[in-house]
Amino acid sequence: MAEESYLTDDFLRQLINVGEVDILVGLPTHNNAKTIGSIVHTIQSGILRGFPRERAVIVNADGGSRDGTPELVTGVSIDDVRPASNLYALRTLHSISTKYASSPASGVAFRTILAAAELLRAKACVVMSPESANIEPEWLSKLLRPIYDDGFDLVTPTYRRHKFEGLLITNLLYPMTRALYGLRIREAYSPEFGFSGRLGSQFLGQNVWNDGTDGAGVELRFTLAAITGRYLICQSFLGKKDHIERHAADLVPALRQTVGALFSALEPDFPVWSAVAGSQPAPTTGADHEVLLEPLRVNRKRLREMFSTGVAELESVFQSILFPSTLAELQRIARLGEEEFHYPAELWVRTVYEFAAAYQKSVISRDHIIQALAPLFRGRMFTFLMENRTASADGVENNIEALCLEFERLKPYLLQLWKSRE
Amino acid sequence: MRELIISELSQALHEIARGFAHFLPRLIVMLILAFVGWVIAYVVKAVLRSILRLIKFDKLSENAGASQLLTQAALPSATEVLSRFVFWVTWLGFILLGVQVLGILGLQEQIARFFLFLPRLFVAMFIMFFGLLAASFFSRAALLAAVNANVPSPRVLSLAVRTIIIVFVLSIVFEELGLAEQTMLVAFGIAFGALMLGLAIAFGMGGRDLAKRFLEKRFVRGKKEENEDELSPL
Amino acid sequence: MPLKRDVLWYKDAIIYQVHVRTFHDSNGDGIGDFQGLEEKLDYLQELGISAIWLMPFFPSPLRDDGYDIADYNAVHSSYGTLEDFRKFLGSAHDRGIRVIIEMVLNHTSDQHPWFQESRSSQDNPRRDWYVWSDTDTRYKGARIIFLDTETSNWAWDPISKSYYWHRFFSHQPDLNYDNPAVREQMWNVMKFWLEMGVDAFRLDAVPYLVEREGTNCENLPETHEILKELRRKLDEKFPGRMLLAEANQWPANLRPYFGDGDEFHMAFHFPLMPRMFMGLKLEDRKPITEILQQTPEIPPSCQWCLFLRNHDELTLEMVTDMERDYMYDAYAERKTMRLNLGIRRRLAPLLDNDRRRIELMNGMLMSLPGTPIIYYGDEIGMGDNINLGDRNGVRTPMQWDGGTNGGFSTAAPERLYAPLIQDPVYGYPAVNVLRQKASEHSLLNWMQRIITVRRSTGVFGRGSIEFLYPANHRILAYVRRLGNEAVLVVNNLSSTAQAVELDLRRCKGNIPIEMFGRNMFPRVGDLPYLLTMGPYQFYWFRLRRI
Repeated sequence: MAEESYLTDDFLRQLINVGEVDILVGLPTHNNAKTIGSIVHTIQSGILRGFPRERAVIVNADGGSRDGTPELVTGVSIDDVRPASNLYALRTLHSISTKYASSPASGVAFRTILAAAELLRAKACVVMSPESANIEPEWLSKLLRPIYDDGFDLVTPTYRRHKFEGLLITNLLYPMTRALYGLRIREAYSPEFGFSGRLGSQFLGQNVWNDGTDGAGVELRFTLAAITGRYLICQSFLGKKDHIERHAADLVPALRQTVGALFSALEPDFPVWSAVAGSQPAPTTGADHEVLLEPLRVNRKRLREMFSTGVAELESVFQSILFPSTLAELQRIARLGEEEFHYPAELWVRTVYEFAAAYQKSVISRDHIIQALAPLFRGRMFTFLMENRTASADGVENNIEALCLEFERLKPYLLQLWKSRE
Repeated sequence: MRELIISELSQALHEIARGFAHFLPRLIVMLILAFVGWVIAYVVKAVLRSILRLIKFDKLSENAGASQLLTQAALPSATEVLSRFVFWVTWLGFILLGVQVLGILGLQEQIARFFLFLPRLFVAMFIMFFGLLAASFFSRAALLAAVNANVPSPRVLSLAVRTIIIVFVLSIVFEELGLAEQTMLVAFGIAFGALMLGLAIAFGMGGRDLAKRFLEKRFVRGKKEENEDELSPL
Repeated sequence: MPLKRDVLWYKDAIIYQVHVRTFHDSNGDGIGDFQGLEEKLDYLQELGISAIWLMPFFPSPLRDDGYDIADYNAVHSSYGTLEDFRKFLGSAHDRGIRVIIEMVLNHTSDQHPWFQESRSSQDNPRRDWYVWSDTDTRYKGARIIFLDTETSNWAWDPISKSYYWHRFFSHQPDLNYDNPAVREQMWNVMKFWLEMGVDAFRLDAVPYLVEREGTNCENLPETHEILKELRRKLDEKFPGRMLLAEANQWPANLRPYFGDGDEFHMAFHFPLMPRMFMGLKLEDRKPITEILQQTPEIPPSCQWCLFLRNHDELTLEMVTDMERDYMYDAYAERKTMRLNLGIRRRLAPLLDNDRRRIELMNGMLMSLPGTPIIYYGDEIGMGDNINLGDRNGVRTPMQWDGGTNGGFSTAAPERLYAPLIQDPVYGYPAVNVLRQKASEHSLLNWMQRIITVRRSTGVFGRGSIEFLYPANHRILAYVRRLGNEAVLVVNNLSSTAQAVELDLRRCKGNIPIEMFGRNMFPRVGDLPYLLTMGPYQFYWFRLRRI
């Protein structure tokens, strides 16, 4: 078992005192003192309302906060020393915390949570994010009930979002995981999700943290592992998705967490995804997705400019990654003006697949490959924004569906690239 | 008189013969050493070549940008070059060892100095190689970071980074080889200082607007967000 | 062994609750009696108890198990005569055992002569001894207690054509305590028994003595006044006797019944008992510690009475709805086990006849602050018969041996007041005193040992309590202190083995000596004290500084 070395003695002692639980809520934090109080309170409400008789624990994995976040979490344990203020609790509800590192790394936080879940033999677990601004108590039930009552192993959320939010998901992650792995999971990488103890233990044993990426994007690997392991997966509609802070500038780290993880999973998962054709829908409670259509002012021009600049400046890098024909296409559209600019779906899919193949062969440093994708993705974002400027909810969904089908159609191309090793 | 000449001659012949007799075995030893050295060097070259092929040394050197240099100089691949280099050095070493056996005094000192020089040569090559690798890696990293942060003239920045690293590496290499160390260090210092000064001037005068925009982007966030919404990718 | 001369004897007492009818039948009529009870005093003395609490034995139509009294100054003919009682009382005192009897102040049977007179006409001198009304709309604030059988607190009397007030069964009319004659008479009744030598009274249903419009008619100040008056008279004429309150209330509402040490000496801690069962099922000490934290301080001469089970249902009045649902699901899956917001089962069946759990619960009973009460038969782990209706399932004959009628009576089995428990697990051939006396490791012998250990120190009865709150919530741990003595009690409420670290810094330097085996444990140092405990295990440590 992989847990021994990275759990501190103090944390183990806390785990001993908690003992076996039925439900575990994992909460990774870093300097969230402003909001963590209300979030923990919401989580407690959710547990006490949805699972009043079950043994539960909140496990906080903290990445070196300096603002007292861990103390705020443990300070709201519900037990006989600190009875709940206005919530009625039949039994003790522990809130424990451990510092897993001096600086935040979500992959390591997740590993800590998985280790705790295994040691406490939790039947159903859920990871919540302190970044989500509008958590509701019902979210706990929505993510846990399918596992606790219906025997599912993974519950991914679906949200109500603005049509232009989450473009990395709608234009890359969702279509590609769907095309390759054959399951239509909307949010394969999400800040909150539920999973069974069974799946958690098995994934912990796989020990993906030692392959050099230090667990970046491990949440996506987790979803993929559930698919390849033939676990039962379903989706559950939660509500509106709201970040506490918007991070538009953090495209590169987002790419690392998601696309990087996806690409690095393709090699070991090759036997699975190479045999899959088409895609199946996943069982879903509530809506599969919901779209907000309110107008949003976005700096589209900047996106196109960064695309053009990127294509121009990174030519030497792209030469190592892309096929000459693809690169020539990109250079052609980079020269187009704003009105004519169009990054067609087919070209985008080819771009992504060629990047995936280049990643597999490590033609240059893998991290650089991921970074090089950023300006191209911005170009794609621009096209998507333009295409759906006035689209209705159904219109947007149809466009996304078309893109997904394009990914599925060109899957043989990826297989061909894959097999032609140097 | 004739006897004297004959005895002198025969004595001289004796001397020569003796000298030769002394010398000949050594010569033979030297030749044997040379031969053995050739064999060993060949084996070493073959082994080294296999090892380098195994670790895909060519690809590594391609990353370093060394391959491009070699092709430009009409040289064969990095593996080949290195293997042959090692072959020659090894053989030369054995030859020199043999020459040392000959016992020619002045030469011995030079040979000793040559052998002392060898390790430093290897280290210098080592540093050079990895220096090129690092230069290539970091220049590309700078390029990507600059492009993604929308900093103007990313290629210039990338080239600057590469240049600085290479110059730095060169100065270390020269210091290691003991060739004109001081000169190189001073040259490096001057070049680096000049670069910094140039950038400072650029920021201060020529690039005023650029600097202003750059700083605005960094520190004056609020104003920008009033004008438009930022999209989060996830 | 003569009685201890000590006005605070009740603090060290171990009380044995028994109904004379159920214990032992000496005259072969199928009903237990005082002579029979007297014959079994040796058994009780050997067990180690120091006081017997007798269920009501006055003459009564027995429609509420004797709580409907028809004559306050006599003994029901089935149980013997007044002389039999006197003899029994003397024998008990000779063995150092005190006697507590029931005194139902609030109401009488409708067969009592007083009521017969009172209802005969509106002008009868005793009319005002009960609470009459022309309508049934007065005192709307009062709740109905026997929810399963009664629909109103007023009953129609056809004879005097008016309503009379009854908080309990309709055949138990409430006495009118606003009438000084009633108060005088009831004191005389108590005096009668006190002069005979009875040591204490359990006053039944005291919260309901007085009614007032616009209130819930419980715990009213007028009621307290009456009780204080009784106490004053008791202390004056009969020092050293004790009053025990039966008031099923939240601790905060119970507190006034102690007054300033000038009302009741003891009261039952009703809310604690269901929480002990709950804590056991949840494997979490939270319900137990919470209720004890909320329990108010009582005057130094006063004492709580603790119990696990009694003749009534395991009442769930003093818990929240969520807790009640949990208790029902956990302990009374079949609806027939439930009665009046409670569960009518004995201790052993409630705990699945699990010896370890029975020991743990008794261990907590004996070590938490208060005077413990053992319900007859629980010391041998008797079972119950819920098919006997109302609460009679827990009131079956005492099982003495495996012979005829379990050694309870020589009468024909059909004549017994109630059938014996006969199933293979709890039946009298399997569970009886004779067998358990012969077996060294029987529950009976274990109970005897724990009572001995408990009585070996005054810490349990009179000491303070300080809870330790180890991070492992399955462990209930506390320190009892009296003067220089200290005892550490650690209970594992969980069905699985546990490790616990206790913060014993205050006891640093002490050597824990386990009280049953008298073995030493490692001395307390600076570090948290680690204990590993088996399922449902408990430790009592005497903390000794040498």
